[in-house]
Amino acid sequence: MLLEVRDLHVEFHTRDGVAKAVNGVDYSVAEGETLAVLGESGSGKSVTAQAIMGILDMPPGRISGGEILFQGHDLLKLGADARRRIRGQEMAMIFQDALSSLNPVLSVGDQLGEMFVVHRGMSRGDARAKAVELMDRVRIPAARERAGDFPHQFSGGMRQRIMIAMALALEPDLIIADEPTTALDVTVQAQVMELLAELRRELNMGLILITHDLGVVADVADRIAVMYAGRIVETSPVHDLYRAPAHPYTKGLLKSIPRLDQKGQELYAVKGLPPNLLHIPPGCAFHPRCPMAQAVCRTDVPPLHTVSEERRSACHFWKETLDAR
Amino acid sequence: MPEQKPWDDATGGGAISGAGAGGAMDLAMDEGTTLEKTPGGPEGTGPTGRPRSLWSDAWRDLRRNPVFIVSGLLILFLVVISVWPSLIATQDPLDCDLARAQEGSRPGHPFGFDGQGCDVYTRTVHGARTSVTVGVLSTLGVSLLGGVLGGLAGFFGGAWDAVLSRITDIFFGIPVVLGGLVFLSVVTSSTVWPVIGFIVLLGWPQIARIARGSVITAKQNDYVQAARALGASNSRMLLRHITPNAIAPVIVVATIALGTYISLEATLSYLGVGLKPPAVSWGIDISAASQYVRNAPHMLLWPAGALAVTVLAFIMLGDAVRDALDPKLR
Repeated sequence: MLLEVRDLHVEFHTRDGVAKAVNGVDYSVAEGETLAVLGESGSGKSVTAQAIMGILDMPPGRISGGEILFQGHDLLKLGADARRRIRGQEMAMIFQDALSSLNPVLSVGDQLGEMFVVHRGMSRGDARAKAVELMDRVRIPAARERAGDFPHQFSGGMRQRIMIAMALALEPDLIIADEPTTALDVTVQAQVMELLAELRRELNMGLILITHDLGVVADVADRIAVMYAGRIVETSPVHDLYRAPAHPYTKGLLKSIPRLDQKGQELYAVKGLPPNLLHIPPGCAFHPRCPMAQAVCRTDVPPLHTVSEERRSACHFWKETLDAR
Repeated sequence: MPEQKPWDDATGGGAISGAGAGGAMDLAMDEGTTLEKTPGGPEGTGPTGRPRSLWSDAWRDLRRNPVFIVSGLLILFLVVISVWPSLIATQDPLDCDLARAQEGSRPGHPFGFDGQGCDVYTRTVHGARTSVTVGVLSTLGVSLLGGVLGGLAGFFGGAWDAVLSRITDIFFGIPVVLGGLVFLSVVTSSTVWPVIGFIVLLGWPQIARIARGSVITAKQNDYVQAARALGASNSRMLLRHITPNAIAPVIVVATIALGTYISLEATLSYLGVGLKPPAVSWGIDISAASQYVRNAPHMLLWPAGALAVTVLAFIMLGDAVRDALDPKLR
């Protein structure tokens, strides 16, 4: 396994109390595998990613339990310096908004080249040549001429390509992409996702794709982990999940995708709001919004039931959910 | 081709062909997007597509701003005469003739004479050096000390920040003139250094606060987080990503403060604790002239006018720089 997250707990100490953002997340990514992590805002998907990268703001954040095994080593036991060397070289991250994720006062060539100066000790000139190569690689037209341009001179899609180039610069084994296409036009989204998937294939990297867009996931991911209130509620190979969700929350998400064959009908929405992380409901955190909730859901936290060899569902009534499609 | 890592080879030719397999339509659409966004064509290096940054934009704005041009020329003139006062004033400012005390304008002595019979024109020109020296050196000292301390406090936060913020609060509580009277009255040196030292001592908390706030804002930017996620060290984030993005407010406040430091030097000299004769300073001359203001107002007006114009020039410059560095005003 390339990456294994085991029983990870992250909490934030705020003025109003302790917000439990991540409550026992387990997931794993194999070499060359794409795992999509799906969930609403506040479900803990980004916080988990930041904990893996080691860029969580601490304080107020605190990792209160669990382990993160990367190529067999527990990252949480490593010192700050060792973790810094892993970032960029072994694992890298692509952020949502490329305009704000690129430094406005440095040219993109400088920023790309910096990866090689910092981690490989290259001279500025060599690093610049490498930067141009990378820009070519992510198919930025006239890369050599544009290396001196500043981030705001590029279009949104081009900027996200530059972010991808930066993340891939040192050929890490694991890439975490945090909603990489959310800020882009739909047409550009497809291009950028395709580019990312293609480079991932060529370099045989593991990819964690964080998103709330089910449409993006279907084409790219091998497996899906659905998060709710800081827990994994369902993991499954992509196609099984789309065919028959084993958790009512996943089911609700799938039903809320607009479909061409249901023109004129009201679009389904999972009713209610995501839980307040300061006061997560007892029992199953999803029960106040769940159409199938019974008395047991209010009291007992559902364990991750084994649905099949490759599928897990944290629902007391996963069998009923599977059958009720 | 999962095992191929095309950018291992140094030529980059392999990289292009490897990536090209993706789809021709995709590539065509990319070019469309780029053309639309760069008026200079895909090369992006035409006259309109020249690399622009906050600083080059600011410079372009400044050159068109009449406030900047006027204040800039004034300051240039001031700097030149403070380095070479003999260019326009050939007499010795300390060569005085008591017999001519308080005399008005004469040929060769356009501003008249002061209470000691010294040439007011010569003293006014030579006084610029003191003001510019005090202003520039104090500003440099204040910016360095305040900028570094405030920046570090903002970046590391926590206990560092708490301690520094309380210290700045304490310094803000010290009344400047009263502090100057106490601090400088125990100093016997008549050079500019004690004055500069005092201004730096009292002035740094202002810049430290600005720098702290500005670094905290810059620190929260996504690109700092992104740099961290790609393995940048603390010092690299601070020097390369935060400082260039946080320094603009510090420059603006420091430029405006330069003018106030010059007037503070004059105030302290007026009160007799700043520079002391035989040093030549506008503050000293204003102080000496103030008791004769009814009989011989010219003795007061010229040094006071020079002081006012100088302070105004620096504050105007600061204003112009602030406008140029604020992207919201473009």
